[in-house]
Amino acid sequence: MTVLAALNGYYGRLADRGEVPPFGYSTERIAHIIVLSPDGEPVEILPWQSLSGKKSEPRPTAVPQSFKRPGTTPRSFFLWDNGKFVLGLGVDKVTRQRVAHPANHAAFQELHRRLLAGTEDAGLAALLRFLDGWSADRFDACGFTDAMLDQNFMFMLDGDRNDRGEPRFLHDRTAARRIWERAVAEGAGEEGICLVTGARQPIARLHPAIKGVMDAQSSGASIVSFNNDAFTSYGKEQGLNAPVSEAAAFGYGAALNALLARGSGNRLVIGDATTVFWADTSGGEESAQRAEVLFHDLLSPPAAEDADEAQAIRNALLPVSQGRPVREIAPELDERTRFYVLGLSPNIARLSVRFWLEDSFAAIAERVGRHWEDLRIDPAPWRTAPAVWMLLRETAPLGKTENIAPQLAGEVMRAILTGGRYPRSLLAAVIIRMRAGDPVNGVKAAICRACLNRDSRLGTKKTEEIPVSLNRDEANPAYRLGRLFAVLEGAQRAALGDVNASIRDRYFGAASATPASVFPMLLRNSNHHLAVLRKGDKPRLGGWFEGEIGQILGGLDSGFPRSLRIEDQGRFAIGYYHQRYSGKAAASTEQAVATEQTVSED
Amino acid sequence: MAYGVKLHVWGDRACFTRPEMKVERVSYDVMTPSAARGILEAIHWKPAIRWAIDAIEVLKPIRFQSIRRNEVGSRVPTAAVRKAMKADAVEDLRMVVEENRQQRAATLLVDVAYVIHAHFELTERAGPGDSEAKHLSMFNRRAASGQCFQQPCLGVREFPANFALLEDGVAPVSELPPDQRDRDLGWMLLDIDHANDMTSLFFRAALRDGVMAVPPLNSVEVRS
Repeated sequence: MTVLAALNGYYGRLADRGEVPPFGYSTERIAHIIVLSPDGEPVEILPWQSLSGKKSEPRPTAVPQSFKRPGTTPRSFFLWDNGKFVLGLGVDKVTRQRVAHPANHAAFQELHRRLLAGTEDAGLAALLRFLDGWSADRFDACGFTDAMLDQNFMFMLDGDRNDRGEPRFLHDRTAARRIWERAVAEGAGEEGICLVTGARQPIARLHPAIKGVMDAQSSGASIVSFNNDAFTSYGKEQGLNAPVSEAAAFGYGAALNALLARGSGNRLVIGDATTVFWADTSGGEESAQRAEVLFHDLLSPPAAEDADEAQAIRNALLPVSQGRPVREIAPELDERTRFYVLGLSPNIARLSVRFWLEDSFAAIAERVGRHWEDLRIDPAPWRTAPAVWMLLRETAPLGKTENIAPQLAGEVMRAILTGGRYPRSLLAAVIIRMRAGDPVNGVKAAICRACLNRDSRLGTKKTEEIPVSLNRDEANPAYRLGRLFAVLEGAQRAALGDVNASIRDRYFGAASATPASVFPMLLRNSNHHLAVLRKGDKPRLGGWFEGEIGQILGGLDSGFPRSLRIEDQGRFAIGYYHQRYSGKAAASTEQAVATEQTVSED
Repeated sequence: MAYGVKLHVWGDRACFTRPEMKVERVSYDVMTPSAARGILEAIHWKPAIRWAIDAIEVLKPIRFQSIRRNEVGSRVPTAAVRKAMKADAVEDLRMVVEENRQQRAATLLVDVAYVIHAHFELTERAGPGDSEAKHLSMFNRRAASGQCFQQPCLGVREFPANFALLEDGVAPVSELPPDQRDRDLGWMLLDIDHANDMTSLFFRAALRDGVMAVPPLNSVEVRS
């Protein structure tokens, strides 16, 4: 299915839950209900409020759609509006006096007399009688107050309530809906085939603004837009370049805006890609919601407050990393639930689709598990499972999210979700960070391992899998050199303690890229470090280092390579990490926990 | 389809832009019939024949990648061209690329390969010297020896297409994984009806066992 068609389908699901207004309607903040008797007398004025925080506010309600009102000729909304239109009265901002607005009231009367002419519906007839009988001098007698005038009014027929006892407004009456549908259709533009539904319908000229994508304009940006003449084809204008019906455009816009709303639970911000995801309801609404929550946890595992909670989260997600079927994690979830993931990035006033994925939830969970498996390294640098933003942060200078290369986040997400290769730039970016002097930590080593593993599994040239933990028999020269470098650094630290610039600070980059130019010198210097150890109070440690160097050099058959390719630089980092931190699981995890706590997602 | 041809085309990248996302480009999952027609016409076309695409077979897994690049945001207006023609002077007919930069993102296909199944019909412009056999052998000779009028491309000019005629009709083995062999592709552009106010024609595209069948231009499945 296409992006827009899937979003339009999700709109149907939201409409079933009553969370989005139907086509031709919009959610507006309405403050008061004017209750009309059948002969058009205003019986009472009911407040229509919702409590947000401490004060009560006009309540958002689905009403016939509003529109922008530029210019001087007043235009009225249908079956609702503010006091100037409904009653012909407003309050002057400066003098705080009640002022008449006859032109606005005339527009309100004209619209309703025209659209409601000949109606047989009791409620709509009551409104017409109300318009006939209304005059400004009845204001106080009917129970209106000046404070109401700036706010929006809507109407209901006295005693008109639905089964649940909730008021049914005039615009909710079937007759009113029918009239409004006809009015909307009359105002619509040219007809054509709709790319989303395939039906002949009026085509939308302008598409809805999408709000909530990170770093896009706050007033909203468009997915479908033709804002330069180079973008149009065959002399077609605006929306006619990509015929989408008004109804489908409204539907996908409403659905996407609902997904992107803050706190929707269907949105993840990773790097520059804002990701939304949703499930279809083939397995039921509950199963769909469960899948959405689980997906969020998979890509951004919740931060654990303490060790117990971390263990609980780990246990919950463990089956995923072991590649076990989804029903073991969430038995109530229908595995066939179709799942949609859409990654969007801003390009000023436009949005670009970074990735689009549609698959069964079981398949997606399996791929996330494979991603974790590729990342596995000992000692583990994280307590639960790595969030994607945490991986990407390791590629950015100063560890800042805004420094992550554009495109990278989207490509990494695509690789995780499709099971394809990680982008080449991911490995390169991590290696650049290490050569620039960033600490060679477990997260970076894990990324190197994941990139290399996946390449060897998916590539034509099958190579052996990179070991998870220290492998003393691994023959790969780059891996061995990484280990050697860690041993030499260890010897220096043991002999001299903390120094201003250790050999790692000084030579890591050179050693991993051009070993032949650095290692002979490092080995010469290490003789001095070993001598210090032997003559000092740690002769046994010195002996251990010597033995380790011998073991590593013994496995290097033909001297030091002149240069290492980028993949081998990755192996170098993994070897270094394994040797440096083997047997220090506790210490390294402590360190990881510390970093996890200092950083929180945006 | 006595005069059917089968052409194997492949390339490193391809972008068959969807009309609704043609500004920040997103490719269709599969080559569109109009792109396939363009490839055939690059190899052999005369006013006497009209190519019709019958089916497109997908040989490689459908994979996407996204890139960003600088493009031009405006075009030379028709009026300016007219003025230049009238004045017989082209000094004012120019566009400074640096002043019209637009950075645009594109989500495109990587590593694609297709087999185009097509045939051609003679048009009303066919003369007495034109016969189907003649054009078929011309096409076959040109395609087999790699001749073309212009370099055929995979959706956009930046992504050239390699091609090979399948003379014995045996298609290369498809590497399309099983879970991608059947899928609904939504409404796809079939072609532009230039004779009829440049109306866009759409059809409901779907992959069935790795093959997308294309309806003829005048069939009921085609909507405009």
